[in-house]
Amino acid sequence: MTATAIELVIESTNYTRPRDRARELWAFREVVLAFAERNIRVKYKQAVLGVLWAVLQPLIFLGIFMVVFGRMGNISGGATSYPAFALAALVPWFFVQTAVTFGAQALLMDSALLRKVYFPREAPVIGAVLSAGLDFAVGFVLLLVLEPLLGGHLSWNLLMAVPLWLVLAVLTTGVSLILGALNVYYRDFRFVLPVVLQLWMFGSPVAYPLSAVHAEWRGAYVLLNPAAGVLDGFRRALAEGRLPDLGLLGLSTAVSCLVAWFGYWLFKRMEPGFADVV
Amino acid sequence: MSWAIRFEGVSKKYPGAGWGYPSLRGDLSRLGRSVAARFMRRKGDPGGPFALRDVSFDVKEGEAFAIVGPNGAGKTTALKLLTRISFPTRGRIRVRGRIGALIEVGSGIHPELTGRENIWLYGRIMGMSRQEISRRFDEIVDFAELGDVLDRTVKRYSSGMQLRLGFSIASHLDPDIFVVDEALAVGDAGFQAKCVERMMRLVAEGRTLLFVSHNLTAVEAICRRGIFLLDGQIERDGAIREVLQSYVDWIDARQQERWSSPGAPRGRGLAVERVSFHDASGAECAAFRTGDTIEIRIAVRPSRPIVQPAFAFGITDGRPGSLIICSMAVDGQVPPVIDRPTVVSCRIHDLPLLPRVYQTWCSVIGNHAYGDLLDWQIVGTFRVMEGPLGAGAPAPLSALRTSGVIHVAHAWDVATTGDPDVVAAAEGYSP
Repeated sequence: MTATAIELVIESTNYTRPRDRARELWAFREVVLAFAERNIRVKYKQAVLGVLWAVLQPLIFLGIFMVVFGRMGNISGGATSYPAFALAALVPWFFVQTAVTFGAQALLMDSALLRKVYFPREAPVIGAVLSAGLDFAVGFVLLLVLEPLLGGHLSWNLLMAVPLWLVLAVLTTGVSLILGALNVYYRDFRFVLPVVLQLWMFGSPVAYPLSAVHAEWRGAYVLLNPAAGVLDGFRRALAEGRLPDLGLLGLSTAVSCLVAWFGYWLFKRMEPGFADVV
Repeated sequence: MSWAIRFEGVSKKYPGAGWGYPSLRGDLSRLGRSVAARFMRRKGDPGGPFALRDVSFDVKEGEAFAIVGPNGAGKTTALKLLTRISFPTRGRIRVRGRIGALIEVGSGIHPELTGRENIWLYGRIMGMSRQEISRRFDEIVDFAELGDVLDRTVKRYSSGMQLRLGFSIASHLDPDIFVVDEALAVGDAGFQAKCVERMMRLVAEGRTLLFVSHNLTAVEAICRRGIFLLDGQIERDGAIREVLQSYVDWIDARQQERWSSPGAPRGRGLAVERVSFHDASGAECAAFRTGDTIEIRIAVRPSRPIVQPAFAFGITDGRPGSLIICSMAVDGQVPPVIDRPTVVSCRIHDLPLLPRVYQTWCSVIGNHAYGDLLDWQIVGTFRVMEGPLGAGAPAPLSALRTSGVIHVAHAWDVATTGDPDVVAAAEGYSP
């Protein structure tokens, strides 16, 4: 044992410099990955259909959308068929939904651990978002298979899915941190969450094209809903074979980073009381 | 020796009533204020009682240190602050070295996963690296005594197995400072002995141990120093024997109160009014010396005439199993009937117990097949203090605590049986 071990000082606030926080999170990366791995294992062990759910969910919604919006709402897929158009945004949307649902609940799900073991409290939240990444990967394969069959155009632009996913991951982490922290103090958020997610979906260009928003307002729209720019990017890249609108994507990225930064800040502010309240 | 853990004027208040599970509706009016206060790091008074109040103590490097005290005294709170689960309201804690905690082990084990998966995942969440886990995997499995059920989902495990798994993972962490909270309540007797052994080995290796337990015997056996916490404050800080002494004094005082108030152990058809210990002169007493006479008295009030109630007393040192059993049934001295308040006493001459804290257990069995009139349970605590054990000076506690607890008359003899030239140069010996 070394006598000169690093001294740790525990005080009434957990304030540490951002750089030290980042270093600590990095030191705990193995814990984050363990949470992600555990979520995946548990999730697919409990469900009979397992990974198939990651495929079924967007497909079921695609069916509903085709009937409600494609037929009755008469929304067209633009350059492609409506199914190809809708699916390309549904798959990334389900990533958002899964990531936020599990991310916001992560602290409550692991309350037993929270009360016994130390780790930076964002670890289970980030782990939950990462584990939703597997669902997305499965959905992505589904897209690659179905898009050509549904009339979509695939090109090398599909590689844009990686940076696009990263932006979504940053955004959903931020949202999960905010909702997750509030969820600990106010259990009501559990009931609010599904409603918020529904509203968010209908407020995003999933069922309808981004062009439904007037060109002048698109910037403001993306500013309010950073997911919009990314979802549109996915649609362009995976259904139309085009590059995303880089201006809107840039804006989305900036706002997502801002949301993530705010979420992290809020989370860390509220963190000291988590174990007392949860 | 420098300190490994230092509490400096630490106080902790938990959010008080109405704060535990705030609802949005109830809090909406306060939401702005409360969230703002949290942002501003304003240390508003959360109200409610102190779980810890101005607690300061040092734990030296490589020391085995105990925190004892009744339930709700703040022992677990102190550990939670130390392990950064919770944060102090005031004061600060300084820690040198990596901390590994065993606080209510087993809670992180996931029931849907197999034992193997849990070791890998839980181990990493507890802070072990993959290399450490793969290096110690077999050790963990052996220690938990899992073997053939390793690949079964944990929900199919018995609760004892689940706890053992949790303890095993946590105890194979490699911390400089080991924090143990009531882990000894885990598993069967054999496993408990293994846990104590493991802790003693860690202490022998020079790890710092902070041990919280109600098992005073284990505390006395393992720890050198400690504090007695009462209502969030340090009642006593010092050598473990003094600390235990003042704690046991407090327990004794409380016990007296409890026996004289309702809520004492109730048997079926038999109420226990009071249990007391007396010395040879019959005076009530809670501390004895080896070789003394001790009389255990139990005052009972039958609610109906009880035919042939067989009383039995047992004395334990906290570990499972009795050291001494005095049973009317075995001795063939069962009274024919008791139908009114009665005091049953059992006198033990030449108490053969060495200095420690002992528990007294009692049961009463009737002659009808109605089951026990009083279940086998702890009815009192007494302790044996140091006293002259012979002509020589009393042995230090440190020498006694590694030995057994029963004192028997014995004699030593050292006789030479060989030639002196066999041993050429004994260690440090020059004729």
